[in-house]
Amino acid sequence: MKLRLCLYLAAISAVLVAAIPSHTAKRPRYGGTLQVEIGATVTSLDPAVAGANAEEADAKTELDALLYDRRGEHGIFVGVAGSGAFRVSSWDPGKRAVLTANEDYREGRPFVDSVEIQMGRSAHDRVLDLELNKTDFAQIPAEQARPAADHGVRVSTSQPNELLALVFLKGRSGIETARVREAIARCVDRTAIVNFILQKEGEPAGGLLPQWSSGTAFLFSTETGVRSAKEIRSQISASPKLVLGYDSADMLEQSVAERIVVNAKEAGISLTSRGILSPGNKPAHGTDIRPGEAVRVDARLVRLRMLSPLPRVSLTAFIETLGPMAGIVDSPLPESASPEDVYYCERSIMNSGLIIPIVWMPQVYGISARVRDWKQPAAGETWPLAGVWLDSADAH
Amino acid sequence: MRLLPQFSLLRAGIISVIFVFAGVSAGAQTTTLHPPAWTNALGSLADKIGAVTKRGQSLSLEVKNMSSLSAADVDGLQGVLVADLARRNRPITKESLADVALHVTFSESADGYVWIAEILDGVKQNVVMVSVTAPNQKASGPETPLTLHRKLIWEQESRIVDFGILADSSSDGTSILIILDAGKLSFYKSPDKDWKLAREITMEHARPLQRDIRGRIDLQAGKARLPDAECAGDFRQPESVTCKTVTALGDPEIPRQSIAVQGRNVEDYVVLAPVCDDSPLTLVTGQGDWTEPDSIQAYLGRNPESSASSKIQFLGPVLELWRNADGKSARAVSRNLKTGTYEASIVSVSCGD
Repeated sequence: MKLRLCLYLAAISAVLVAAIPSHTAKRPRYGGTLQVEIGATVTSLDPAVAGANAEEADAKTELDALLYDRRGEHGIFVGVAGSGAFRVSSWDPGKRAVLTANEDYREGRPFVDSVEIQMGRSAHDRVLDLELNKTDFAQIPAEQARPAADHGVRVSTSQPNELLALVFLKGRSGIETARVREAIARCVDRTAIVNFILQKEGEPAGGLLPQWSSGTAFLFSTETGVRSAKEIRSQISASPKLVLGYDSADMLEQSVAERIVVNAKEAGISLTSRGILSPGNKPAHGTDIRPGEAVRVDARLVRLRMLSPLPRVSLTAFIETLGPMAGIVDSPLPESASPEDVYYCERSIMNSGLIIPIVWMPQVYGISARVRDWKQPAAGETWPLAGVWLDSADAH
Repeated sequence: MRLLPQFSLLRAGIISVIFVFAGVSAGAQTTTLHPPAWTNALGSLADKIGAVTKRGQSLSLEVKNMSSLSAADVDGLQGVLVADLARRNRPITKESLADVALHVTFSESADGYVWIAEILDGVKQNVVMVSVTAPNQKASGPETPLTLHRKLIWEQESRIVDFGILADSSSDGTSILIILDAGKLSFYKSPDKDWKLAREITMEHARPLQRDIRGRIDLQAGKARLPDAECAGDFRQPESVTCKTVTALGDPEIPRQSIAVQGRNVEDYVVLAPVCDDSPLTLVTGQGDWTEPDSIQAYLGRNPESSASSKIQFLGPVLELWRNADGKSARAVSRNLKTGTYEASIVSVSCGD
């Protein structure tokens, strides 16, 4: 009886073991169509044509990186369209693109046969389509990473590599007083912004480089000092009325700007927020911005994405962008700059008080379960879609 | 009775010797050997601290680790720094007695380690730092009867398909390193410590390149094969080697049966000749895909259940693992995900340490 039971159990075990799939499928497979959704509406794939706004420019860079083999001196893609991993096989400007694998690509044919890109999809729709398994790949706002993951979306999050900073604009009389700038810098509650607005997907920024890149970010304080901000405010005879601008199409910037205004009021500083309509953008729902309206602001929120994990390269790029806006004159860092040189350059900019780093945000991507070998692009890298493969071509 | 005092003295002497040895032994156990670059960097940091403090000033020391260094490493480095500062007449003392507060942080950047000293002298604050390249990870895990060794032979930016070494066998008596990548076969000679390019042969392809291209070098047959190209000749005389495109070769990958290792099916493995006893060894790669760090571990027998060595870690996937002709070592091609380069390594096995 015992022997029969043992044989019976052994037979069941053998069937169960045989039915368990192998998890060592390291070798990639070819084939299938990768479904991609983006928020931007890209109207031209010509690298010489600039994107109408930051969102389109970013998306265009990603698409051009798939179509062109290399970049020129200034980061612009050069050469023949289709020399990259994919070639355009269908193009409906601003709506849809289908890219087909380039059989002759220098680094080898991509694993997927094609990539189908739907444009102009809102963040909400992208997350919903990921939840419903209607798309394979979409970038989602950092603040929606946790809710998306809670709804079962496979989320890939980079190291924090995008800085949201407040920049005092050059030539505005209201911010000439260094004391006002210092008071605003001290009163911003960065931790609250990370916890509540970014849903804990990011980290407070005290300097112009994140800790993982420079190793020195901890030397820049991110503490909130409402009391010291009030003290500084009390030393100023007449506090100017300042206006903080933000991109009216960017809900995150709007929320952060409004939070900073609240913090400033707590410290007795007169600060209001105002949306700015960037070219090619529509204002976010509920804002009162009219196209063509000129808005005078004293400071504005700026998003800066790192061009490289290397601290020297990213700091140099930030200075090139922020320098003309804020009127910062700083000599460029040499290629041989040591971590100490980079730190002192960063310290010098922070001491000017013209830039207030607010938060570091990661890049977040939603990826379907069938996408394999997805490698989160490092700072400055583009989407590595030529290297991914689909585990099962009939998932959709 | 007279003997008793003498015996006691003898016993006391023996006990003293034991204590001395025990002390030395314990000291040796807690002292960690650091790479010379680390101790040099600490010397530089001590110099920089010395430059912003006065001779004879006492310092209080607070140490923080924000890097991937282990606690034992940090303890050891702290000891070296304290000794370096003492040599520069900057003794470490209690906070309440110190003239200057010194905060040292072992931090890490995208480039490597950054070791930072904040020197707080009243209201005056100075920050000095040094940078150190982070070394590759070492083997880890519990004690096992075998030890794996990895020797990095070559690294390059383009994908390495296979490689081979002909030791001391070229016509001029030097070793030859042969690297097969997707587009060329390269021969390097080592007249001194460095490999120098001796010949490079471009390989034309009969069909579009595959992203996961596989190929193989057969040193004994004097052949290097890709799915659609082949080179042949006397590899000891690189100038005799010629390459041509072929259409019928197909994938040179030799189909292998998967084996079961600790309940999982493994496709990437090699079987090596016995090293310590009569059991053959199986080297097995990790489970991840091509986006993750990988490892190689040795198991006894062909269908092993328990590991026989610690893992040796790779900073990216092991793409190829081939047995060498001697049967005692393996060739591993891996990709370093941190630098993006491809690495060719020899993995060998020894008994115990």
